[in-house]
Order: sequence, then structure tokens, then C-alpha cells
Amino acid sequence: MTGMEVLVIGGGPAGVSAALEMARGGLNVTLCEQGPRLGGAIHRQPDDPARRLRVPRAQRRRWRTLAEALSMSPVEILCRHMFAGVEGSGAVLLEDRASGRIVTRRPAALVLALGGVERVTPVPGWQLPGVVTVGGLQVMMKSTGRAPEGDILIAGSGPLLLAVAAQLTALGKAPVAVLERSTGPLSLRAVAGLIRAPAYLWEAAGYLSRLIRAGIRLQRGASVRSIAPAGNRLSVTIVDNIGLERRLVVDRVALHDGLLPNGNGTAAAPAGPFTVLAGDCREVLGGVAAIADGRLAGQAVLAKLGLAGSDSAGSAATLQHERRTQSALNTLFDYSGGDAAQLPDDTVICRCEGRTLGQLRALLAADDRVSAREIKLNGRFAMGACQGRFCAEWVAAYVASQRDGQPPQVAEIVGSRWPVKPVSVSAFVERHPSSPSE
Amino acid sequence: MSAAHFLSRAGWQVTVFDSGVVASGATGSADGAVSVASKKPGPLMTLAVAAVRFYERLAETGVLADEFMSRSTFMVAAQPDELDVLESQSAQLEAADVPVRLLKGRALAETVGAAAPAALAAVEVQGEGHAVGYRVVERLRRLGGFTIRRNCRILGLHHAGGRVDGVVTEQGIESFDAVLLAAGLGSMAFLAGPDLIRPRKGQLIVTDRADRDAPRFPGPLMSCRYLVSKGSHPAGNVTEARSLGLVIDPLRTGQFLIGGSREDRDDKDVADADVIASLLRDAVALSPSLAHLRVIRVFAGVRAATRDGMPIVGRVGGADNVWVATGFEGDGICLGPLMGHLCQQMICGQQPEHDISALDAGRFGLTLAEAA
Repeated sequence: MTGMEVLVIGGGPAGVSAALEMARGGLNVTLCEQGPRLGGAIHRQPDDPARRLRVPRAQRRRWRTLAEALSMSPVEILCRHMFAGVEGSGAVLLEDRASGRIVTRRPAALVLALGGVERVTPVPGWQLPGVVTVGGLQVMMKSTGRAPEGDILIAGSGPLLLAVAAQLTALGKAPVAVLERSTGPLSLRAVAGLIRAPAYLWEAAGYLSRLIRAGIRLQRGASVRSIAPAGNRLSVTIVDNIGLERRLVVDRVALHDGLLPNGNGTAAAPAGPFTVLAGDCREVLGGVAAIADGRLAGQAVLAKLGLAGSDSAGSAATLQHERRTQSALNTLFDYSGGDAAQLPDDTVICRCEGRTLGQLRALLAADDRVSAREIKLNGRFAMGACQGRFCAEWVAAYVASQRDGQPPQVAEIVGSRWPVKPVSVSAFVERHPSSPSE
Repeated sequence: MSAAHFLSRAGWQVTVFDSGVVASGATGSADGAVSVASKKPGPLMTLAVAAVRFYERLAETGVLADEFMSRSTFMVAAQPDELDVLESQSAQLEAADVPVRLLKGRALAETVGAAAPAALAAVEVQGEGHAVGYRVVERLRRLGGFTIRRNCRILGLHHAGGRVDGVVTEQGIESFDAVLLAAGLGSMAFLAGPDLIRPRKGQLIVTDRADRDAPRFPGPLMSCRYLVSKGSHPAGNVTEARSLGLVIDPLRTGQFLIGGSREDRDDKDVADADVIASLLRDAVALSPSLAHLRVIRVFAGVRAATRDGMPIVGRVGGADNVWVATGFEGDGICLGPLMGHLCQQMICGQQPEHDISALDAGRFGLTLAEAA
């Protein structure tokens, strides 16, 4: 042991893999996870071990390998510790959710493995209770081992739609419809890319066969145009690939338009420790790549601190392979969302503060080119509790579409302020005035 | 932006140059207090009274419709030693014709008792207000009538025939008949006089919204310690490099703004956990219900503080068509609109509506920098 302390944020595959790599290299590693258990979104472990959602075998095996290695390593694990950011003097702030206190650390290096964020493009009514994200629904099912009550519609684009539809079906709650926006044909490039990744094809085949057996059809080219309250339920207007509309009344709508790197909290802090991003928060490449990327992040830290790590060639090759596979996979889907020009002015864009597209349009109306900062302050986009995690990217893209493609940077709208997520006032009050590094 | 607004209404063709984007300095990071309560007794307090009336006028005439909210400020003493500060500031306000009401006993309990159960006494300062700095700027921008050049740094002033006849930017020389330097700390790049203005950083906190059944706040609570921190009160000859004063401001959104620090630093992009924790500890000591809220944002801004704590507004020595308006420290949101109006009057060759001789640049012997 060198005695040097390093901190890893995020208990998913990238974080665990980075922690293991650095522990092997002789560092004192602390691994922080905001939830009650490690696993991240992909390997979310159930609240009750007896109620476990079925996941593909390869995925289960990958996690078991990581978890076993971790249990034999000296890595210190802090669950229920939320990363609140790096403050002005360079200290890393964690909120200990069990004790309700702020914990301050000054590590020699910081690995951020914050995962991805789910992208959902706005449609009228998406802010209503009962509208969830497909990924959020999946995480909930992984935690509880149960499907939610009521009729569920799944819509948007991406392989996750298929997976969650199949998992709902396996729990006896088949969705009433699955709408995949993309009409893109299976191109040669996609086939060539995917054939090198048989695990994905195998996984997809498993999901599809379950849906076919249950009589669920994936409707390609169909999407949600709007959602409106209908008593205690939701009335969803659906438009198909030839423009025909129909209505469906359901209890829940799950939306998904792809994944983005979770950038909140990743802005460089001037006085902060040496920081490396790992996994989906650096580049969305999925679970297999996250393990390799975590290893690479760990190696980068070891090299920075003058220690030897293992050979990086294998991990780099895995990353390259997964990148090709993901890019082939992405050609099959359409993450663009609906045409923003067709959205009515009262479409909510920022769900935290209820800010609408009309308010954004008004800000952009004058000849005067307002800056990203003015859009944030006066439009109040990215000013809510989520700090723009769910609207900043869309707002930036919309502004760009109105201005010959000259985008404000998402980071300009989000800013770089801590806390990354809301922290209770009492957590600060409980903190000792000048708590020394712990 | 206020000067640009009034000058354009007076028939001038006006261009606002900003080295960054509008409201990117202290305006975008301010607490929005349009308040006399904390002002230093003397000319500054008198001008603040006029500034609040000016806000009311702008709100009535529609220029700042919906952007100015009238309300009272509550100065609160929670420690025995703060009672003297409360009494003396209250007397000064009364002398400046500001309506104040001393709250003790039952009146205290009924007014601020729920929000600040530990208060020993309070003074309600009436006829104050709140305006969000960046929203005021946005309002003036939308009213238009002048050009804004963002991210356009002024490299220097252009001289010809013994007078200033324009500005030098990276794009070249642009001609103007008059120049107003209202660039906060940046104004000093054009002026001669060492260390006249120093940065004073402030850190602020925004919480999420309180529940409906949370205790009601009658208006912003200003701890008497804030007056000491600000140096408004004689007891507070602040010499330390960092001081904390407490204002708990219930915002229109239902959120709370909690501030703020005064630190002799200029790193406006970072907030420190130590300062934030201290402010929150003080806030919860005064208003325990705040402990149930969450911090959603912390931010910092840098004020431009002059050596004598008074703004600099007036003509710059050695140039008959260059004016300056800077050094407002924490009072820019309160004084800004009025000062913009007074600058317009001066630039138009009129006698300013209010006596601002105490703010004259001449008191520091301020002249144009040679390089400018």
C-alpha cells in the first residue's frame, strides 16, 4: 500500500472495475454509491433477493465476477453516499444519506463513473404523473422484482424498449403497445457490426421471442404525439408512419429516446483532485465497455500517481469493439424525437420548473442573439432541482436549430456549480465548521 | 443597461459593449434586494430611498412592470449584543424618513415569530422591494432601442484632437460622442488610480420550495449581524478578509435565497463548503424550519468595492465626454436604474435629479488612464 487515497464515485460496472484496478495497483480506494447497493443501473440488485427480475445470463455473470473480486479486495465501500460535487477549495463533498451529514474527502485522485442519463424528447403532456422513462421503469422492476399496476404503453426509440417490454411480459404485465419511432431498415453496415457482437443478437432474440409468444407486436414508425389526462388515466395520441392518428387510454406511459453521458458534476473543478471519467458518463457504450473503461480510468490514475498498472491493450481493444457495435446498433434507431417546430407553445420543456417551449421561443424571438447564460437565467431552463440533466441538451439543440446550427454548449446552460443534486440543509448544519480531511 | 435605456429614450444612438454577455457579472449573481435597510447612513441611505422610489415609478409606468415587488424588510436581533445595532440602524433610517416599525413582544411573535422564533426584537423597514438583477436587464433589453455587442472587449478609448472620440475594439475603432464606463471592476482598466476598487466576493444559496404548512416568512429577514458584516454600522469596521452576514429571503417562487459572505477574493466561479455551511448554520439558528429544505444551488459573485465604500458616479477628470458609474459593491441592483437615469441626465448636460456630489470621481482624483 502506498497510503495514497483515491475516490471512485458510482457503484456500477465502470466504478467497480476502476476501484479494483487501483486497489491492485496499491492505492487506498473508497467506492461511493448513492443507492443502498452496488450495481448501477444495469446491474441493479433487488431490494428483496427472493424477488429478482430475470436478466440475460451473460449480464448476470459479468456482475458476479466483479462482485466476487470486490469482496476479496481491500476497497472500502460507502453505499448511500451521494456525490455532491467538488467545492471551491478542492474537497469532494459526499452526502451520507444514512447519517444525514456532509462528508468531506480530499483524495489524491477522483474517478467519476456516473453512468448515463436517459434522454426523453418533449411531447405535450410528458410532465403528467404516470409518465415515466423506460429506463426508470426497468430500474424500478430490478429493485422490486415487480411490474407496476395498470396498462403500460412503451414508446420512443432504442433497444431498451424491447428489453423492458420483454421483462414486463415475463412478469405477467405485457405492455399494451410498444412504439418504435425508427423506420430505418436493417442496413448491411448494421448487420456487419452486429454479427461481431453475437451477445447482443442473442439478447435481442430472447426478448423478441418472448414478445412474439405473448402476441405483442413492435410497431415501427409509430410515436406519441401528445398525452392528456383522462380521469385517473392517460389518453395518448399516437401517430403512425403514414401520419394516421389514434388514441389509446392507459395508466402509464414509458418514454425513451436513447442515452447520453451523465455530465452533471463532471465539469473540471479548478482546485479539485486529478479526475478521470469512466464508463457511460464518458461515452455511452454499455456495460461490457464500462468494465474495460473503468480499468483504463484506474490505469490513468495509477500512471498519474507514478504507479504501475496492468496492460491496457486488452481494455482498449474491448472499448474499440464495443464502440463499433454501438455505432452499428445506433443506425437501427431514431433518437431525434418529434419535429420541434410542430410542438405547441405550451409544451413543457423543463419539468422541474414547468418552463415551456413558448417561453424559450419568446427569448429567441428578437434579432439580438441572447447568450446561453441569458437563456438559463431568464428562461430558467436548467435552474431547477435536476440542474438541467433532463432539459439542457434539448434546449441547446433547439437553440442551434433556430440559429443555423450554432449551438450554445450544453455546459454553458448547465453550469458547473455544486451541489450536483439537491443536498439537505441539515446535512450542512451537521457538518463540523472546518472539518479536516477525513 | 439602465443608462442605455434612458439615453436611447433621450434620442441618443446607444451601443452597449460587454466583454462577456449581459448580466454576467454581479448582476447575474445578486440577491435582488432593493433595500434601504442595510445602507450606510448618510448620502448612500438618502440615495437608496430615492432609488426605491424610482423603482416604484418604473414599475408604475410599465418600464419594469412585474419586475419590482414592494415589500418590507425585517431586521432581526437574535442576540443581546445585536439590539444596539438594531436600535441605531433603526434610528438612522427614521432620520432618513424611512418608515420603520419596532416589533417587540406580541407584535414580534405575530410577525416574525413563526419564521424566527429566537428573535429578541425586530424592525420592519417598510416601502422596500425586490427585483431580480438579471430580469431587470432582460426587461430593458426587450424594450430595446439600443444595440448590444456581446463578447466585445473594449481595448481602449480613442483620442483625437485632445478628446475622446470613440472606442477601440478588436474589430477596429468605433466613433462615439460620449462614453460611459459602467463595467464594474473592469472600469478600472480605463482609469488611473491604484487599488481604488477591489473585488469582494459573495456566496449565496438557493433552496427548494417549502411545504405549504411551513412557517410563513413576512419578508426577508436580515440578521443584525449582516449590518456588521457589511460595514454599514459603526460597530462593524470590518477589517477581516472574510465576514458573513445573514439574509434569509423568501422568493416569489417559494424558494429561499440565503446569503451572503463578503470576502476579499475574486474567484467568482467557485463556492466553498465552509462558507456555505457557516451561512446555513446561522440561517437555521435563526429560522429552524429551513433545516427541512434542500440546497439546490450555491453560487458566487464579485462586487466592486471602493476604498470608502461609496460608489463612483460622475465625469472622469481630464475628459469632458467620459463618465463613470461603478463601485456599487452590493448596492448595484438597488441603485442601478436610478444611477443610469442620472448618468443620462449628466450626459445630456442636465443637472441630475438627485445630488450625487458625494459619489463624484473627483474625490479620488480619478482621471483617464494613459493607455486608455
